[in-house]
Amino acid sequence: MHEGLLVNLTVFLTRIAEFIFGNIFIAQLFIVLLEIVVIFAVISLAVIIQVYMERRICGLIQDRFGPNRVGPFGLLQTVADMIKLMSKEDIVPAKAEKLLWGITPMLLFIPAALVYAVFPFDNGVIFADIGIGIFFVIAVMSQGVLLFLLGGYASENKYSFMGAMRAVAQMLSSEIPIAFSILAIVMMTGSLRMSDIVSAQSGIWFIAVQPLAFIIFIIAMLMETNRTPFDLVEGEAEIIAGPFTEYSGMRWALFFLAEYTNLLAAAILTVTLFLGGWQGPFLPGISWFILKVFAVIFVFMWIRWTFPRTRIDQMMALSWKVLLPLALFNIMATGIGIYIYKWIY
Amino acid sequence: MIKTETYQLSMGPVHPSTHGVLQVLLTLDGEKVVDSVPCMGYLHRGIEKLMEARTYFQCLPYTDRLDYVSAMNNNFSYCHAVEKLAAIDIPEKAQYLRVIMAELNRIASHMIFIGSLAVDIGATTGMIYPFRDRERILDIFNELCGARMTYSYIRIGGVRSDLSSAIVDMINKFLADLPSMLDEYNNLLTGNEIFQHRLKGTSLLSGEQARRLGITGPMLRASGIDYDLRKDNTYSSYDNFEFSVPLGKNGDNWDRYIVRVKEISESAKIIRQALDGIPDGQITAKVPKVLRPPKGEIYDTTEGPRGEVGYHIVSDGSAKPYRIHIRRPSFINLQALNILCKGYLVGDVVVAMSTIDPILGEVDC
Amino acid sequence: MQGKGLLIGLSVTLRHFFSRKETVQYPEEKLVMNDLFRGGRLILNEKKCISCKLCAMACPNEALALTVEIDEQKKRHMKKYVHKSGRCLYCNFCVEACPTKAITWDKNYEIACYHIEELTYDAVKRNKEDENNEY
Repeated sequence: MHEGLLVNLTVFLTRIAEFIFGNIFIAQLFIVLLEIVVIFAVISLAVIIQVYMERRICGLIQDRFGPNRVGPFGLLQTVADMIKLMSKEDIVPAKAEKLLWGITPMLLFIPAALVYAVFPFDNGVIFADIGIGIFFVIAVMSQGVLLFLLGGYASENKYSFMGAMRAVAQMLSSEIPIAFSILAIVMMTGSLRMSDIVSAQSGIWFIAVQPLAFIIFIIAMLMETNRTPFDLVEGEAEIIAGPFTEYSGMRWALFFLAEYTNLLAAAILTVTLFLGGWQGPFLPGISWFILKVFAVIFVFMWIRWTFPRTRIDQMMALSWKVLLPLALFNIMATGIGIYIYKWIY
Repeated sequence: MIKTETYQLSMGPVHPSTHGVLQVLLTLDGEKVVDSVPCMGYLHRGIEKLMEARTYFQCLPYTDRLDYVSAMNNNFSYCHAVEKLAAIDIPEKAQYLRVIMAELNRIASHMIFIGSLAVDIGATTGMIYPFRDRERILDIFNELCGARMTYSYIRIGGVRSDLSSAIVDMINKFLADLPSMLDEYNNLLTGNEIFQHRLKGTSLLSGEQARRLGITGPMLRASGIDYDLRKDNTYSSYDNFEFSVPLGKNGDNWDRYIVRVKEISESAKIIRQALDGIPDGQITAKVPKVLRPPKGEIYDTTEGPRGEVGYHIVSDGSAKPYRIHIRRPSFINLQALNILCKGYLVGDVVVAMSTIDPILGEVDC
Repeated sequence: MQGKGLLIGLSVTLRHFFSRKETVQYPEEKLVMNDLFRGGRLILNEKKCISCKLCAMACPNEALALTVEIDEQKKRHMKKYVHKSGRCLYCNFCVEACPTKAITWDKNYEIACYHIEELTYDAVKRNKEDENNEY
């Protein structure tokens, strides 16, 4: 297998750093820091692109154009919006728990960004190829709920608190179908390591082998990322903006950032688990990866701008009464399948 | 020992889904609604009082501003009442024009209903499509009377302007496209399982309850009671046209939605017949420059898109009405809110509010 | 089959994703208002006006404040024709009431302004300013 372009780049940079600092340890530390900076830059850029994409897709679906004024094709619209949000007055509700309320948007970004450590972007391009990769992703992703609860609680607003309660209920019910649908994949690869999962799909993508798990995973991922039809946490027609109700300006932008970071993570996870990760013919792995990720994001957005919102009890019923039994059935079927496969060969 | 208690949530008057400035005081047990009280009056402009200081002609623009998404029907109702009071005979052609415009406005109003219901349920795209199609009706009205919202088209004694051939073409084209528009809504919303699950079996209102509250219009018909003033107390030229009155069975949100969707095609049927059978003649009757209806009073009703629009006019023989009371259907239909919401979830409150379809300009008057 | 409606819905939105767009790109392309359009400011044709004040009498909301002057030959002249467009309902009653069709709308819909005083204007004064600009 060929080593990816980015790996060569990293090796090259390490050599240069080693040359400059004269010490391999400091050089590697420097590279790690550089990687962190790069990943944050990539996330921010991806969020800006996603926000533009969301508005553009929304517009095109609704027979409008969407943003097309600021910059070429309106590409700078998000940048302009960011500048606007940053220059807004910082309004703190009088009765809010100031400290908790203030740190929540910043903390929310941490679990959202942390999962990127284990995503394989290309062959060998992975920050930490740990043995429990997928387990790490599930564990870290579910930490976000705590901060939703914190923000909702600290706002001292009934709408926020209702949103926080909904967030807890929703994320709990989405985590389990996600875990069980991933379990079927793990059974087939026999490894929790992300790079192993990707390389196991060199022959056939898991979407073809595990279509049921894919559907369960997509639905549960929509719940996890709070997007329509499961945007109950935000539910703007019912509870205004849920936990974000009292946030404005830059603080709200941080919530927004975390939301789209999560969406990107969800898309990357889908691509890694079911769509063969960075694998593909002719083009370099990273370009296949980006192509697939944005295709998945497009599907998420397409779903968002088509469907109405479910009600909280319907969402819970779907998760616990439909998705969970189906996922369990899928695990059983996978087990039998693996057994038969081994028996034949 | 864990103790739970109910809490109050003030939904509105600044809230994304209260259709204007309605405030609903919800008493909640978790997410379950224990009690809901609509608080009105944030948009009160004293229109009834304003009308007392104006001549009968000058009152007309104020009726536009009651139910601003179906101003034609309000104009119609007001003019009908005044004409009855002053015993003015309206030419046949004007009657037909009034019916065409009132029914077009009914379609526009029901499109707003579909759109606002969709956006309250979270389907933003479901809002854009009906609003886009409603725009074509507004274009027709703009061509006809120069305004898109506050028409003042139906005047005491007739209508303001005649149909030009361009407008007839526009209406015909709109009617030809209407089935495909409805198909689009049906494919996007009506057939959508999430949409159906949200609406079916929620916010039940029995026929008996609806009748007791004095609810009228599509909301009453959704509860299974066949009461449509266009048929049951026929006025203007409605008796010349063939149309059916769609009825619901259970009186749930779904029935209220489906009744209105069906009414759109019934209205289209009426418009088609009226356009075909439009007689020649005058569009306005002879009305004195200063209208002084004889002393007396009258209560007259017509069927608006939201229910029975009634005008109670008391005349003291002068050029200005002594007192006008307006029966606003939204105001009375909104009284059902508590019945519709009690025992359901917060998400259902929004849907119930949408299917009542109140226009706050009319509620607060 | 559950889920069929969802797929049909997705196909509808995908079709619209590629279809023609409805938006009018406003500052570049502007809609032309039709003859009956009511809106903008009132234009007073002073040659036609007979200063009868019927327009002000027809107004439901007293949006017109007129000052009529009678000169030496006992002829009536419109001295001030103040239209308080903040009060105006745009009902067109004044235009219809005019026996000589002396007032018309300028059909300009870009009438948003920053200060409340700008809502009130004098049509006679505007006519004079226009005349001065021409010379």
